[in-house]
Amino acid sequence: MPVKTHPFLCGKEGVEFLKKDIAGGTNTMVLAACSRRVNFDIFRFDGCIVDRVNLREGVVWSHPRSEFPALTEEEKEDEDNFDRVQMMAEDYIRMGMIRVEKVDLPEPYKLENLSRRILVLGGGITGMSAALDAAKADFDVTIIEKTVALGGYAAQVRSQIPVSAPYDALISPVVAKKIAEVEANPNIAVKTETEVARIAGQPGEFTVTFKKPGEKLPFDVPFPLPDEMMVDENGKELDVEKQREAYLAYNEGKNDILQLDPEGELFGAVILAAGWRPDDLSEGDYSHLGYGELPDVITNHQFEELAKVGKIIRPSDGKEAKSVVFVQSPGKNESDEDFAYAGAVTSMVSLKQAKYVREDYADGKAFIFYQHMRTPGFSELFYKGLQQDPGIFMTKGAVMGVSKNGNGMIVDVENTLLGEKLQVKADLVVLGAGMVPVTKDDPVVNLAYRQGPGFRDIDLFNGYVDSNFICFPYETQRTGIYAAGAIRRSMTMEESMDDASGAALKAIQCLESVNRGVSVHPRSGDMTFPDFFFQRCTQCKRCTEECPFGALDDDEKGTPKPNPTRCRRCGTCMGACPERIIGFADYNIDSIGSMVKAVNVPSEDDYTEPPMRILGLVCENDAYPALDMAGLNRLGYSADVRIIPIRCLGSMNVIWIKDALSQGMDGVFLLGCKHGDDYQCHFVKGSELADIRMKKIGDALSSLALESERVAQFEVAIDDYDKVPQIINEFVESIEALGPNPFKGF
Amino acid sequence: MADSYMVDPDVGFIEEVSRLGGADVKKCFQCATCSVACPISPDTKPFPRKEMIAASWGLKDRLIGNGDVWLCHNCGDCSTLCPRGAQPGDVLAAIRAATVIEYATPKSLAKMVSDPKKLPILLAIPAAIFLVLGMLLKIVGIDWLNLNPTGDHLWQADYISNYLVDIIMIPTFLGAVTVFALGLKRFFVDMHANALAEGKTDKEKVDPAEFVQALIKIVPTIMTHRKFNECGENNERTTAHMMVLFGFIGLFVVTNCFFAAEWVFHIEGPYQQINPIKWLGNVAGISLVLGGLLLLKNRLAKKDQISSYWDWYLVGLVLTLGVTGMLTEMLRLGGMYDLSAFIYFIHLLSVWVLFAYTPFSKLAHIVYRTVAMAYQEYSGRK
Repeated sequence: MPVKTHPFLCGKEGVEFLKKDIAGGTNTMVLAACSRRVNFDIFRFDGCIVDRVNLREGVVWSHPRSEFPALTEEEKEDEDNFDRVQMMAEDYIRMGMIRVEKVDLPEPYKLENLSRRILVLGGGITGMSAALDAAKADFDVTIIEKTVALGGYAAQVRSQIPVSAPYDALISPVVAKKIAEVEANPNIAVKTETEVARIAGQPGEFTVTFKKPGEKLPFDVPFPLPDEMMVDENGKELDVEKQREAYLAYNEGKNDILQLDPEGELFGAVILAAGWRPDDLSEGDYSHLGYGELPDVITNHQFEELAKVGKIIRPSDGKEAKSVVFVQSPGKNESDEDFAYAGAVTSMVSLKQAKYVREDYADGKAFIFYQHMRTPGFSELFYKGLQQDPGIFMTKGAVMGVSKNGNGMIVDVENTLLGEKLQVKADLVVLGAGMVPVTKDDPVVNLAYRQGPGFRDIDLFNGYVDSNFICFPYETQRTGIYAAGAIRRSMTMEESMDDASGAALKAIQCLESVNRGVSVHPRSGDMTFPDFFFQRCTQCKRCTEECPFGALDDDEKGTPKPNPTRCRRCGTCMGACPERIIGFADYNIDSIGSMVKAVNVPSEDDYTEPPMRILGLVCENDAYPALDMAGLNRLGYSADVRIIPIRCLGSMNVIWIKDALSQGMDGVFLLGCKHGDDYQCHFVKGSELADIRMKKIGDALSSLALESERVAQFEVAIDDYDKVPQIINEFVESIEALGPNPFKGF
Repeated sequence: MADSYMVDPDVGFIEEVSRLGGADVKKCFQCATCSVACPISPDTKPFPRKEMIAASWGLKDRLIGNGDVWLCHNCGDCSTLCPRGAQPGDVLAAIRAATVIEYATPKSLAKMVSDPKKLPILLAIPAAIFLVLGMLLKIVGIDWLNLNPTGDHLWQADYISNYLVDIIMIPTFLGAVTVFALGLKRFFVDMHANALAEGKTDKEKVDPAEFVQALIKIVPTIMTHRKFNECGENNERTTAHMMVLFGFIGLFVVTNCFFAAEWVFHIEGPYQQINPIKWLGNVAGISLVLGGLLLLKNRLAKKDQISSYWDWYLVGLVLTLGVTGMLTEMLRLGGMYDLSAFIYFIHLLSVWVLFAYTPFSKLAHIVYRTVAMAYQEYSGRK
C-alpha cells in the first residue's frame, strides 16, 4: 500500500498532488492530517473514498509534547517504555485504514415520480405569504383552506398591529392585498372548503387525498389505537394479534396507510400554516373574573368580533361600552402567568383593542391590567405610540376579581403601580385569552405514517408544532413538512409573514435535495440512506418505533418499509436493530466495529504496566466539534482514549461496546448532546435513546462480571470545549481506579 | 374591599396637564429613575414617580392638593435622566400650573391667564380701567389724567396722577390678596388631607403657631435658594431666579417707601438721584431686567426643558415691568416727557397685571411654594 507525505496537503500543491494520484487510478485515500470538520470541501474528491484521520486536532494539538513528552533515545532502548501519543496516532491511522475497506461509495436514492409542487395547508396570512414566496421562486403551489374564503383570522379584525415602520399605530388589515396577490398569481391554485384526508408517501412524492370538511372517506387516515383500547377489561395489555384486531375495528372503513390513493394528487413538500384558534377559555376556572357568569365579561376574540361590526357595545344590553377593562393575567396574587397560549401577541392585542375604545368614544376609557406587557423588538414603538393616548391606562397588577355593580361591573386589582388596591368601574371586561395552535386539537397533516397521523408529542411543545427552536425553527419531526406562523408559537402578522418565507425556503430546499437523492437536513447533501438486509429481519419493529422521523412504515407482518426521503440519516434505526441488518454505505455496524477492533490494546504481555485503552463514541454534531475546539485551544486530555465520531448517539449500537470490552479495552464512554427541555440533539432524542440502551447494557456487563461503571454517558454542548477534557480525564481516572479489564490479553 | 381606591381617571385633567407643558406624561413607564435622580426629593414617599403615574392616570384629586409638586424646583435632573423622555420636571410644573388655576377664584380668569389667545383682553382690562376712570373723573371735574401737561420739568405724575394710580392699584392689590387667601385656605386643607392620606405626616391637626415657626424657619432657605442650589441640571437658573426675586423685593420696598413718603410725609416726587431709596430702586430695577434677560436666555438655550405659555407669560411680565420702569425714568431724565409718560402708562398696566393676575399665573408659586415648603418643614417628613 503506497504511503505518501506532503508538508501542506490542503495547499494548492498538496491538492494537485492528491489529484494526480486520483488521475492515476487511486480511488481510496486515508488522509492523516487535520480534522474532518475543516477543509471538507478541499478534500472532497467525487468518486473517491476519503477517510480523514484527525492527527492535528485529535492528537498533536490536544496532546502537546509539553504535557506528553516524547521518549528520549535512551528510553527508547528499553522496550518496556512506550510513547502514548505515538500509539494514539498509530491507532487512528489503523482505524482509518480499516474503515475505508469497510465502506462503499454512496449512490443517490432517486424517486420515480418526483413532484415539485408545494402544498400549503391554511389560507391565512402565513399560508398565503408562504405560497407567494414559493410561487415567486417558480414553484407550483396549491393552498387548501378549510373555510369558504382565504384570509384566516387576519381577515376577521377591524385593525391590526403594524407590520412596518414607524410601528407606532394601528393599521388597516394587510390581508386584502395578500388575497389579491394570491388570486392574481398564476403559480398558485386555491382550494377552499378543503382539508387533507391523508398525506401518504414521502417527500418528493407525497400522495395527498383532499376532502370537504367533515366528509368521511376510505382514505381518511387511520389513527393509532388509543392507550385505553390497548388493554382488556382487566387492564391487561392485549397481545399483538388482539391489538391488531382492535386497531382494525377502530379504523373500520379506512384504508391502511400503505395503500395509496390512485386519485390522490402528488406533491413534493408541504407547508403547514394552519394557524391558531382563539381560546374560548373552556379549560380552566375563570369564575372569579365573572367569565361565563357575567354577560359583559368576554374574551379578546369576542371583543374583536364586536369591534369588527360596529362600535363597542355591551353584549348584555347593547349599550355603549365606554369603560373597558382588559385583563391579561388571571392568576390573582398567586400566579403571574398570563392565560394559556398568551404571549407578546396578546399583549399587543390588548393595546390594539384599547385603542378601539378610544376610537369609538371620545370620552372612552380603556384599562389594561397586566403582569407582563410583552412588546419585543420594534413593537416597543407600538406600545409607546398607544401609551400616549390620554384615555388608555395601564398598570401591572393582580386582578383579584370582577363583580357585578348595578348595570356595570367593578374590577378589583391589587399590587398596582399606583401603590395600592384599585377598583375600576367597567362596562365591559375583556380577557386576554391565548392563541391555541390548531395542532392541539387535530393533527391537521393527517400523515399516513405508521407512527401516527400527527407529530410525535415529545412533551416539550405544549401542542405547538414541534421544532427544535435553537437550530431548526421550521423543521418538524416529519421531513418535507415545514411549519410556519402561529402554529409554531403565537406570532404577529409581521412575524408570520417572515416565518412563512423561512418555511417556503425550507420546502424548496427539500425539493432541491430530494431531486438529487440527497438528505435535506440536518445532514444536508448526505447521499447515503439506510439499507436493510431484510432476509434476517425478525419484524421486531424496533426501528419503526424508534425512528424519530417516522421514516419507516411496517407492513402487516411487521417488516419495515423504508421511505428514504423521509429519512434524516441519523442512523437511529441502525443503533436500534438487534439483528444489525441496517447500515449506510459509509457508516455501518461493520465499519465502526472494525475501527474499534483496529485499536491496539496492549496487555501485560507487551509491557509491565500497559496503558489503559478507553473508547469514546462521540456525537459528531456537538461533542466532536467540542473536542476539536479543545485541541484548537491546546487543552489536553488523556492519550489513552480513542475517539470515534458517530452520526448521533441514537445510532450507537451496543455491539460496539461489547466489541470494545471483549477485546480488552478498559472502558467506553459516550459523549452526546443535552436532552430534556432545551434539547440540542439534531435528531430529537439521540442521547435519550442511547441513555435507555446504556441502562440495558449495564445488566449485560454484570453478567460478564464487569463493573457497569466501565461504560458511561456524558452530555456536552458544542461550546463546552473547556469542560470536555476534564470529563474525559475524570472518566479515565475512574477506570484506572477500577483496574484493567480482566479480559485483556485473551 | 373597603381599602381599595376607586379610580376614575379624569381624561380632561390629563389633557389640561398636557396643555400646560406636561404633554410627555403618558410616556412614563414607572421605572422610578426620576425619584432616584431628584436631589431634593424626601426619602419617604419620594416624588415625582408617584405624581407621574397619578398624572398619567388623570387622578386629579391626588395632585391638585399635593404639597410635593411644590417642593420640586424643576431643576430638570429627572427629565435629563428619564429613559423614556417623559419629562417629569415639566409634568410637575404643569401640575403646579393646574393647581394655581384650580384654587383661583374666579377660575375662568385663571383659564384666561393660561391661554395666549386671551392676552389682548387681559391687557385691555387695565387700559380700559385707567382711561375710562380717568375720563369719568374728568367729566366730574377731577383732572387726574392730563394728556398734554405744560411745564419745563415734567414727570409722569403730571400726566397720570398718583391719585388715579393709587385708587386703582390699592384695591387691585387687596383684591389679589383676598383671592390668594381664599385659594390658600382650600389648598392648605387639601394639602394636609393629602399628606395624611399618603402617610407623609403623622400630625393629625395643624398647630398654627408651630406652622408659623416653620414658615419663619424656611425663610433663609428661600432667600439663599438653598434647595434650588441642590439641583443639578439647571443650576444656572438659580442666579436668574435670585436676581428677579431680589429685584421684586427691592422694588416692593421702594414702592412702599415712596408710598409712605407721598401720603404720610407729603413729599412730592420725583425724588433726587442721591436718595438712597432711589439707589435701591435703580439697583432693584436693573436686577429685575438682568434677571429677566437671564431667564429668557436660559429658557431659549435649554432644549430639554419645555417652556409653555405659562412660563413665557411670567418671563414676559418680568421683562416688561423692569424695562418699562427703567425706560420711564431714563426718558424722563432725558427730557422726553411725552414718550416717558407713554412708557409709564405701559408700566402701570404691567404693574396692574402683576397685582391682579398673580394669583392666577405662574407667579402664584411665590405663595404656594412657600406654604408647601413650610408645611413640609412642619410635617417633620424626612
